[in-house]
Parts: sequence; C-alpha cells; structure tokens
Amino acid sequence: MSERYFQHTLASGLTLLAEEMPGVQSAAMVLMLAAGSASDPAQALGSASVLSDLVLRGAGARDSRQLSDYLDSLGLHRSSSVGVHHARFACEGLAPKVVEALAAYADIVRRPHLPPSGFQAARDLALQSLEGLEDDPRQKLVVKLRECFFPSPLGRNPMGKPAHLRKLTLEVCKADWQRRYQAKEAILAVAGNIDFAQVKSEVQKHFGQMAATGAPVLAPRRPRKKYHHEIQRSEQTHIGIAYPSIEETDQDYYVVRLAMEILGGGMSGRLFTEVREKRGLCYAVWAGYTGIKGYGAVLGYAGTSNDRAQATLDCMAEQIHRLAEGVSADELQRAKIVLKANTIMDGESTAARAGAIAYDFFMRGRMRTLDEITAQIDAVDLERINDFLRRHRPGPFTIVTVGPKELRRPGE
Amino acid sequence: MGMTFHHRKLDNALDVIAEADGDAHSFAAGLYVATGSRDESPDINGVSHFLEHMMFKGSSQYTWEDVNRIFDEMGARYNAFTTQESTAYYANVLPEFTARAVEHLAHLLRPAIRPEDFQTEKKVILEEIAMHMDDPGYRIYEALMQEHFTSHPLSHSVLGSPQSIQNLSRDQMAEYFSKQYGAGNTVLAVTGKLDFEQIVSLAEQYCGSWASGTAVRDRAEPRYRPHRKALHDGKLNRQYTMAMVPGPSAQDPRRFAARVLGDVIGDAEGSRLYWALVDNAIAEEADFGFYPHDGCGSFYISLTTDPQRTEQALQITHKELARVRGDLTEEEVQRAKNKIASALVLEGEVPLGRMRAIAGQWVYNKEYRSLEMDMATLLSITADSLRQLMGQFPFEPMTIVTLGP
Repeated sequence: MSERYFQHTLASGLTLLAEEMPGVQSAAMVLMLAAGSASDPAQALGSASVLSDLVLRGAGARDSRQLSDYLDSLGLHRSSSVGVHHARFACEGLAPKVVEALAAYADIVRRPHLPPSGFQAARDLALQSLEGLEDDPRQKLVVKLRECFFPSPLGRNPMGKPAHLRKLTLEVCKADWQRRYQAKEAILAVAGNIDFAQVKSEVQKHFGQMAATGAPVLAPRRPRKKYHHEIQRSEQTHIGIAYPSIEETDQDYYVVRLAMEILGGGMSGRLFTEVREKRGLCYAVWAGYTGIKGYGAVLGYAGTSNDRAQATLDCMAEQIHRLAEGVSADELQRAKIVLKANTIMDGESTAARAGAIAYDFFMRGRMRTLDEITAQIDAVDLERINDFLRRHRPGPFTIVTVGPKELRRPGE
Repeated sequence: MGMTFHHRKLDNALDVIAEADGDAHSFAAGLYVATGSRDESPDINGVSHFLEHMMFKGSSQYTWEDVNRIFDEMGARYNAFTTQESTAYYANVLPEFTARAVEHLAHLLRPAIRPEDFQTEKKVILEEIAMHMDDPGYRIYEALMQEHFTSHPLSHSVLGSPQSIQNLSRDQMAEYFSKQYGAGNTVLAVTGKLDFEQIVSLAEQYCGSWASGTAVRDRAEPRYRPHRKALHDGKLNRQYTMAMVPGPSAQDPRRFAARVLGDVIGDAEGSRLYWALVDNAIAEEADFGFYPHDGCGSFYISLTTDPQRTEQALQITHKELARVRGDLTEEEVQRAKNKIASALVLEGEVPLGRMRAIAGQWVYNKEYRSLEMDMATLLSITADSLRQLMGQFPFEPMTIVTLGP
C-alpha cells in the first residue's frame, strides 16, 4: 500500500482510515456507524433517521445551539444521513479544523443529550419528509423500486414508516442509541492535508473507550416483486427497472461497471442514445450498478409523458436485453476512458476520497489506491466483457411505475 | 499552491481567460455566453435553453452521435446549463486532452440546427418541462420569478412553456443564435494544469473565425410592488412558500456582504431561520439566500411546511427579519464568514470549481478575482457592513407566493 494511505483498528473495534494529501489545504472526515435502516428495530422503522438528527441536538458539554455554533465557528460544512447499513456523519473544511472537530464528533455519537423537546422535533421532521415524498414522484419511484427489489430489510426506506414514527418514543430511541451507536464495525475516514500520527492520537483519545457491542442486521427475506404500480396524479409516468447483478467484491465488478457505462452512463450511452436522442421519448433516462453488502443490482430510471410511457419502458427493456449480445470494441474503449478519468478526477476532492476509502473498507475490508482501480479497469478486454455478458443475461426484472396508469410488463 | 491569471482578447473580441495551477491534476474549460431567458422576447421564450440542447446535436462537421462520442473518448465530465442571464458549456478532462477539449467545445458552439434534430429535441424539451411540473420546488420558483419581476424580462421562464416551445421555429432559433452568440458576448475560461500560449493559439484556431457581435441587453430597472399570491393544487400534501425582496446586483461591491447575510439568516444549519423554524419542526425547510442578477438583485425566502403551519412560519420569518437588524452579533457574522471561507477553499481545490468561479465573475463584471482577493474581501466584512446593507435593502417590497393543497 502506498505511503499516503494509513489504517489502524482500535481495541474498541473502530477502524481509522486516512489518506494524506499534502497538495491541498482542506480535509474531509466521514464517520460511519453500523446504525442504518437495515438494523432499525422491526417495530420502529425510521428510528435510525430520527436518531441521526437527535444526537446533534446537544452532546458532551455543549447544548444544541452551542454545538452547532461551535462547529460553524470552525467553518465546517457538515452532513448526516442514514443508508441501508450506516448512519453517516461527515464534515469538510480547513484541515486543522476538521481534526479539531473530531472531539466534538466523539461527543455527538458517544455523549448525546437526547433531549425530550429535541426528540419531538426530530420525529416531527421525519414525518414531514415522508409526507414530502408523496409530492415528489421521482424520489418516490426510487424508494419503491428499492423496496420491491431488495430483500427485506435491505430495501427499507431509511425515512421509515409513518405509523412507526408516530408511535416512536424517546425511550425506544435511547435504547436504540445504546444498542447501535457502538464502535464495533464503525469506520472513521479522514482525507486531506493531515498528519496521520496526529489524527491517530486524537481518534485514540476520543474514540478509544467507545463501547464495542454491535447490532445485528436481520437475515434478508421475502422474494422480489415482479411488477408494482403506485397510482399518482402526476404529469409524467416514472419508470424503474431493477435486476440482480454480481456483488461488488466479485472479480468481474469492473466488467459490470464498464457494461453499465456503455448501457446507461454518459450521453453516448445506449439508453440516452436510443431512448432520448433517437426517439425523443424522455428527458431523464439512466441505468447504473448499485451495491449493497452481499447484493449487487442494476437499477434503471426513465420519466416520460403518460401516453409515451409504455413505449419508453419497452424501449428501455429492449436496450437492456441487447447487452447479452455484447458490446463493440469502440464502446468498451470509450467506457474505459470515462471510468478511469472519473476515478482520477474524483481524486482531487478530499470529500470524495474520504468517502471512497470508508466505503472500500466497508465493502472489501481494505482501502484501494487509485492505481489499483485503474489497473483493474485496464484489465477488462473485449473478449472478457462479451463472454461475461453472454453468461449473465439481464433479468429477472422488477419493474415499478409511479403515475396515473399501470403499464404492461415487456416480455423477457 | 501558486495560481497565475492570464487574459487575452482575440481580434474578434472573444475573451480568453485562464487561471493556471501547476499542481492540478486536471484541466477545465468553459465557454460562457452572456445570454439567457431574459434576453428572449415572449414569443420565443425558452429558446436559450432549447438552443443549448441543440448544440449537442452537431455542427456542420459532426452529427449528434459524434458530439457525445468525442467527449466520451476524452473521458470528459461535460455538461451545459442555461439561466436567465447566461448559457454555459464546459468540460473537465485530464491534461493530455486539453487541445481536444478546447477544439470540441468550440465546434459545439457552432451548431448545424438540422430540422429533423430540431423536431426530435423539441419532444425532449417538452418532457423536461413535464418532469419539472412534477416538482413543486420548481413550480413555486417559476411562479415567484413571474410575480416578483412581472413585466421585467427576468420574469421569463428558462424552460419556456409547452406552448412557446411548440410554436418555436428552427428559423427563429437560428436568428436568436446569430444575434446572441457573437464572440464579443462570449468568454473562454480555462483552469487547472495548462499552458496559456497553447490555449490562445487553440482559441485563435477554433474560435478566431467567429463573428464578433456583442448583444444588447435590456437593463431597465424592475418595478416591485408588495403582494401575495396563492396557488392551489389539490394533489399536493405540503405547502411550499417562496418570497423575494430586492438586494444588491452581481456588479455591486455589497454582494459579498449580501452572501454573508444570506448565511446568517438562512443557511441550512445554525442560522436564524434554522433556530426559529426548523429546530422546532415548525418548518421542514427554511432557507434565506442571496440571488444576484445583472443590474439588480434579490434575497429569497423558501419554506416547506404543513399547510396549516404556513402562516405561523411566515410570521416568524417576518419577525426574524425585523429582529436581525437590531441584535445582529459579531460572532454569528464570524461563523458565517468561516463557513464561506472554507467553501471558497474547497471550491478552489478542483479546477472545475475555479473555472465556474472565474467564468461566472467574468460574465457579469469582465473582471478577474483570485481566491485570495475573494478571501480578503470576505475577511473585511463586519456586523456593521451587514447592518448598513440591511438599512439600504430593508427586505421590502416583498412578493410572496404559496403553492399547496
């Protein structure tokens, strides 16, 4: 491993990852705890989301406003979110300020005040976002597609369920915090103009004693749905297609990524070319690979006028099936250049690097250098990708539509 | 991290500006044209944005398939966007593709506008409009701009209406192009790893033959009046509220203070409106921000609430706007400045970020500002500058638009 990358796992189970980038002034930090929607208590879906808001409402020696003012005074840009596997807290800013903020983030996850008034507000905001989802058919489509395709609990909407949120109590949240805000399997990644030895000693000091049990994710169950329609009085019909793919850790991962680049990546991708440029059926159309630990999938989307929705779905399905016939040498060549250039250009941003090394560690148990990734892309040749595509015909499809009318499933 | 600025005006009046950064790993180039929906007459509303799409449909030399293929052969990150006042085309590539990227962007901006492509793309534009009609955030923004600027050209929709797009002809677009896309109305901005003399010779080779026209923009002062409009849509669950008041223009030196004030009052976290409305869940979202235009400017407010909480949220917003003039503290100004300062540093670390910054600045002011200059201006801002600004722009007259069930 190149000398700019560092890794250290504390006795508590938290793994610290770092990438030193001496050419920049900034740094970015990502902290991921095993407290995502997949480990929400079965009767409290949305608990992870409420918690990720609630822990910011006062922690350690600071109340809610003092904490926010303090992080603002460091000039940090912050975010918090909940995904399938993790609650994720991130910040970026000038490198010394990011390092200084580590202590405050330890307070946030280890010593949150969890105040009753803050709980009411956090729960109310979670309910409001769920209502807002009903006004946004595009986002609703993606949520429904994941729910219908991925086995439960991996397809859960991290925003939760209204009925569960209404019944959620502070006591349940406190117990949930105790259970899931733990060091075991936690990942903290820092990239930027930092000194690893200094970051390590800060992290050791603030996260070294963090409690170390962990929360189990339920075993995935329930088969995939084939077709699901949500009635919505919308201007457009929103169409989602999903089908299984290989896992991200598979040796053929970059074969699939390149195939997806050719199908639905840029503006010269097949979907964009055939569905939009040639036929003018829609404005937005894409497809891409999505990885969840243990599962790989291809997800595709198009939004189009209601009277052209069937034609759009049929055209998308046809293009996806055509992958089995293979790709051309030119297509592969372009896809390789695009994927490599994106990898290298992402390397210029500290936030992208911190996110990438944390994600790599979670998925693969180790960090990867940019050189390793580009070498893997280079190693895919025409014979290999076409052989793969012949052996892995797309399907079976899960199709979800949001709009006024149901559509007919295209033949497979 | 040393960055050097260069500027050359070609014989046809095309400005070429560059900020070279020897440490960068990539190269970014953008062609920014000072034209947008405010430069359209109502009968051709939407033509700027439609024309932006047509650029990707090919020139006399290339078909649309070539255009996208060539970008992908360079592994470019490329795109384009249209606003009320500018239309921009850009690409971010590895330094080995510098020459090709400049050449290709230049070809892009001399489109063939073939009739059959025009008809196909018209359908795509109509789909884009339909997609935005499913987005209440877009609908309320459009309605606010129309209500606030009324007969002023800034009220024109960027996408146009289904009607104006249906009626638009290929010849009207070609005429608009020749009037607005002169070299004198365009800037080529490049950043990152680059050699300026090479850029100039590329610009001369590929843009040197462009006609040298400069477009004339209607810069009449908008006339504002305080008013409120309610839009109803029974299928919505939430109530969306936006409001607008006058602020400094994109040319005004007070624009830096205006940005700080925007963060103090309405940043997504830690701001006045956050604590008054979002912390207690009265609103799901409450933003206040600065929105500068050519010759005039605005502050906007954006609220998302339960329908029955809208009035309460608006009252609290009014109260906060009145209060901040009296009790603004130096500490909260400092916090907002610190956040903006780190945003400037982060943006400065990627060539695409710097390209957007210097091109955007040039389109409005024909002026280069280095990161250090922006930083120094930012540091000089105090609570007093903000108080003065609020005296000069007292958050009135206010236009309010609501959209909900």
